[in-house]
Amino acid sequence: MSTISEVFLPGVGRKFQVETMTGDRLVIVIHDDGTRELYHFTRRNMERPASVLRLSDGEARQIAGIVGGLTYAPRNLPMAEVILGDLVLEWFTIEEEAACIGRTIRDLEVRTRTGASIVSILEADQTKRLNPEADTVLNEGATLILAGDRRTINAVKRLLVEGRAG
Amino acid sequence: MDNIILEIGLALALIAFAVALAHKLGLSNIPFLIIIGMAVGPHAPQFGVFDFRFIETGSLITFMGRIGVLFLLFYLGLEANVTRLIEAGRSILVGGTIYVGINFTVGFTFGYLTGFPLREALIIAGLTTVSSSAIVAKILFDYRRMANPETQIVLGITMFEDVFLAVYLSLISGIVLSGATSVGGVLSSGGIALGFIVGLMVVGRWATPLLNRLLRISSNEVFVVVVFACLFLLAGLGETIHVAESIGALLLGLILGETEHSERMERLVVPFRDFFGAIFFFSFGLSIDPFTLGGAVWLAVGAALLSLVGVIIAGFIVGRRAKLSTVGSFNTGFTLLARGEFSIIIVNLALAGGLMAVLQPFAALYVLILASASPLLAKESERIYALFAKLFRRRGRTKMADEDLEAADGS
Repeated sequence: MSTISEVFLPGVGRKFQVETMTGDRLVIVIHDDGTRELYHFTRRNMERPASVLRLSDGEARQIAGIVGGLTYAPRNLPMAEVILGDLVLEWFTIEEEAACIGRTIRDLEVRTRTGASIVSILEADQTKRLNPEADTVLNEGATLILAGDRRTINAVKRLLVEGRAG
Repeated sequence: MDNIILEIGLALALIAFAVALAHKLGLSNIPFLIIIGMAVGPHAPQFGVFDFRFIETGSLITFMGRIGVLFLLFYLGLEANVTRLIEAGRSILVGGTIYVGINFTVGFTFGYLTGFPLREALIIAGLTTVSSSAIVAKILFDYRRMANPETQIVLGITMFEDVFLAVYLSLISGIVLSGATSVGGVLSSGGIALGFIVGLMVVGRWATPLLNRLLRISSNEVFVVVVFACLFLLAGLGETIHVAESIGALLLGLILGETEHSERMERLVVPFRDFFGAIFFFSFGLSIDPFTLGGAVWLAVGAALLSLVGVIIAGFIVGRRAKLSTVGSFNTGFTLLARGEFSIIIVNLALAGGLMAVLQPFAALYVLILASASPLLAKESERIYALFAKLFRRRGRTKMADEDLEAADGS
């Protein structure tokens, strides 16, 4: 889970700092007058925010509902992990900067190096590749369905993100 | 006195123009209001029915300005919350003490060395110490600095300054109004004022539950009228026992700020504070004869430069303690350099007490300089830092500069 810290800003309101799992930082400032500010810092530059978003109280609440999945719950989330005996199926989205982007399943040697396999790919543009070939290129934003056991699934995720299985 | 509404309307139109222009340029409106106030007045021309001299309505505008001071200080009292300050923690208390200590000492020394008597020097010390919370908040919001680590420190120090200002104003009003000039006299009249305030605060604390109950008024209309009646009554009563009316307003704010209704009051007071406050700054400018400015120019420039040095040093000491980056330390100092409403209020008190008249053009110029310089410096703090770093590197590589440069290279 990401870490969240909370600070009091005298005369302004409260500041929440979230270190996300992707290494980015999200700072949420809640002003006492209802204004919200979202500061997004990327891993590369923690001094200057990459973007700042200002929202009114109403907008913030609406967006909170959307982000929190109140209006539309992610469809594949409840099944993001299906366990059949030792077999684990897991949905995994390729984030930006993952090591596997632009490489094929073959040159990553997914199967031989980890023991798990990529059963299906749902591209960012919703194209489905059931049973992808070994020369399928992995793209940013694609969701993979991985099959294996606990240990091999973890290994394949590490391989995809960091480029090494060990 | 036929065209009285028209003349007030004209004054308000000028005020509206100044505020709108400042807003358009993204700057604080205080300097604009003072300048536009100075530009008109008895020396200004008259165009048909539009009389820019404001001779007939001058006293009325001054009066509305006085109401503005009441609202400004009532609001300060509501905001300055000792309990909240103590909760903010030791680092804010220490940082605030360092910041205020350095700037007050610098201001007092400056006033004393330039030949002002004791009371005037104390006024100069005060008006060169206290930052403008309005401008500080604006800088942080406009330059999107709310998420920066130094912002907590900056806001903490402004909170500290609010409390400091409440105490300072109460003491100084006692000193100014009593007319004491010797050190002993100043101390004793300050002591009396302090006794009065502490007494009132103790009573206020004790009465908080009662006030909570009495003010549970559901209608906003009734609520606001009751609160404002208290405000004017207490301010007026203060005046009869030689406590400046503004101090009465401040103390009422401090007492009511402890009740559960403080946020509701803040919300309701803000429009009145903004409206009458704007009239106050305009009337302050109106009362300045622009031809007296010349005599105060060097004094104001000197004080502004010293304040700049003062805030940079204070920013660095506070920044090192809080482990801020060098740019963060510069930001802290430059942001807190903003002077505005409170400096004008302080000098206004001095004038009411009959202190030297040169304080007025001095304060006006000083505020004009720093209210404009602080946002600019705060915006360019990174470049200023780079310049400093270069200077330090050329001069035989001091250890501190080296560390900073390495840190800068690494990022």
